[in-house]
Amino acid sequence: MIEVSGVTKKYGERAAVDGIDFTVSRGEILGFLGPNGAGKTTTMRILTGYVPPTSGTARVAGFDVQQNPIEAKRRIGYLPEHPPLYTDMLVRPFLRFVATIRDVPRKEINTRVDRAIDRCGLTPVADRLIGHLSKGYQQRVGLAQAILHDPDVLILDEPMVGLDPAQIIDIRQLIKSFAGAHTVILSTHILAEVTMTCNRVLIINEGKIAADETLEQLAARGERTRRVTLRLARPGDGVEGPLRAIPGVLSVSRDDGQDGAFVVETEGSRDLSEQIAHAVVTHGWGLLEMRPITRSLEDIYIRITQRVDAA
Amino acid sequence: MKNVLAIAWREIRTYFTSPLAYVVVGVFLVLSGYIFYASLVRFSNLCLQYGNNPYVFNQLNVNDMVVRPLFGSILVMFLLMLPVVTMRLLAEERRSGTAELLFTCPVTSAQVILGKYLGAAFLLVVMLGVTLSYPLLILTTSAKPDMGPTLVAYLGVLLFGLACLGVGLLVSAMTENQIVAAVGSFGALLMLWAITWIADSATMTVASLMNSATFGLWEKLHLGTGGPTLGDLLNKLSITEHFQDFRKGLLDTEHVIFYLSLIFFSLFMTQRVVESRKWRG
Repeated sequence: MIEVSGVTKKYGERAAVDGIDFTVSRGEILGFLGPNGAGKTTTMRILTGYVPPTSGTARVAGFDVQQNPIEAKRRIGYLPEHPPLYTDMLVRPFLRFVATIRDVPRKEINTRVDRAIDRCGLTPVADRLIGHLSKGYQQRVGLAQAILHDPDVLILDEPMVGLDPAQIIDIRQLIKSFAGAHTVILSTHILAEVTMTCNRVLIINEGKIAADETLEQLAARGERTRRVTLRLARPGDGVEGPLRAIPGVLSVSRDDGQDGAFVVETEGSRDLSEQIAHAVVTHGWGLLEMRPITRSLEDIYIRITQRVDAA
Repeated sequence: MKNVLAIAWREIRTYFTSPLAYVVVGVFLVLSGYIFYASLVRFSNLCLQYGNNPYVFNQLNVNDMVVRPLFGSILVMFLLMLPVVTMRLLAEERRSGTAELLFTCPVTSAQVILGKYLGAAFLLVVMLGVTLSYPLLILTTSAKPDMGPTLVAYLGVLLFGLACLGVGLLVSAMTENQIVAAVGSFGALLMLWAITWIADSATMTVASLMNSATFGLWEKLHLGTGGPTLGDLLNKLSITEHFQDFRKGLLDTEHVIFYLSLIFFSLFMTQRVVESRKWRG
């Protein structure tokens, strides 16, 4: 549905996006992750045809966004980072205007607008001035504007910004409801957002793609080794030795922050919790706590973006 | 066309939901109404004064003394007020980020520009339309103005206004700041007005200027150094000079084509500016 190949965008000497390639197939929800200034917004602007790439091509639904912009744009719904709203218009006339220029057939405009208002929970504010709405409602008007024409591809630049937790859940449901029939690309800083809505993640850093994986693959990255924290009541001097003797244990280190706390790193292929517990009990160290450390998406994200920094 | 009209209609709504349209139209009508009234009073005083002097009385003409000065004043008011009408058009779209909506919708930049231009032109037609009541008002009195020349003058002032809107739209495309857009188009229009002021002293011919610019190549090619002077050229460029014949009630295609080409040129340049802005990011 979306094919990006070799896209580079330079602002002066600085490359905001540097030779990225990816494809998104129909029905996928792709999460676009990256630190500030990584090139997320630029990539989205290139996809929507707002900014032309310096080199490379972007195709949406088979149409090159530069060669055939009208056909490509017809199939895209786009919510920019700052919702593009005419603050001096009422919600309903604004949506009707957008529906018109997005080529919704005249007869369908009213029903489409009503449906978008309903889906985005705008019914209570449909006849109010956009400039008078709260940030959360303005964000929803921006979203309603993007889904009006039932686009094949929905591109959302940080759609959750400015929403309260209840609204975030609503919008998340809404985005999920697009899965299957529509293709969604959403960018976000919030990592939890990606795990909850997306089925694929693209991490971009300094204009380059740092990772392009499904959620499962990404989670598995953290599990090449497993780590377990132990808290012991009576740790003697010789704790490390016997623990290291267990087959599969790679290292044992004292956690300096806490008295009697240790981190045991083991091979990722098997769970050694039982053997470790057994060793602790037979030596009479007094097991107070034993907890596996799962590497969160945050850790993976930070590791990936920093590794690229170092390179 | 549907897109152009939708954009124009949205623009018109914005004019009339903000105070801008009411202030601009209101101020324009108060001023032009006052000027019309003042010249009408002067005219009727003169008529009374020379009522028993048939030689002078026959020289008094309502077209010359009321209608014609009115158009001169409208011209100056347009020069000062129309930049305010156009300053918002593209500058505000950029500043508020709504440009990103327009240019990611399946519309071309030409459609956006044309829509905006038509929206502003609608406001101009409203402004000018109301002033049609002035000559109609005199029609009801015993002084019958000649409607032919009056309508020609209306056509002229409409073309002049449309050209001002074109220049204003072009400047509005170049900036994100409305004030800069207003001052810029104000300056550009005043320059197009004042450009003739050195015309009398610019006696050098265009051909001899070309000759010195090409280090004598012009003369070697036997292209001649006679012909129109630089002053003639400047006169042809003046936005107000081309109005003078309309004001007299003379309809000359030269002037109509001048205004139409100025409008076309500024809209074309606006489209180029909007397109090139994309590449600059």
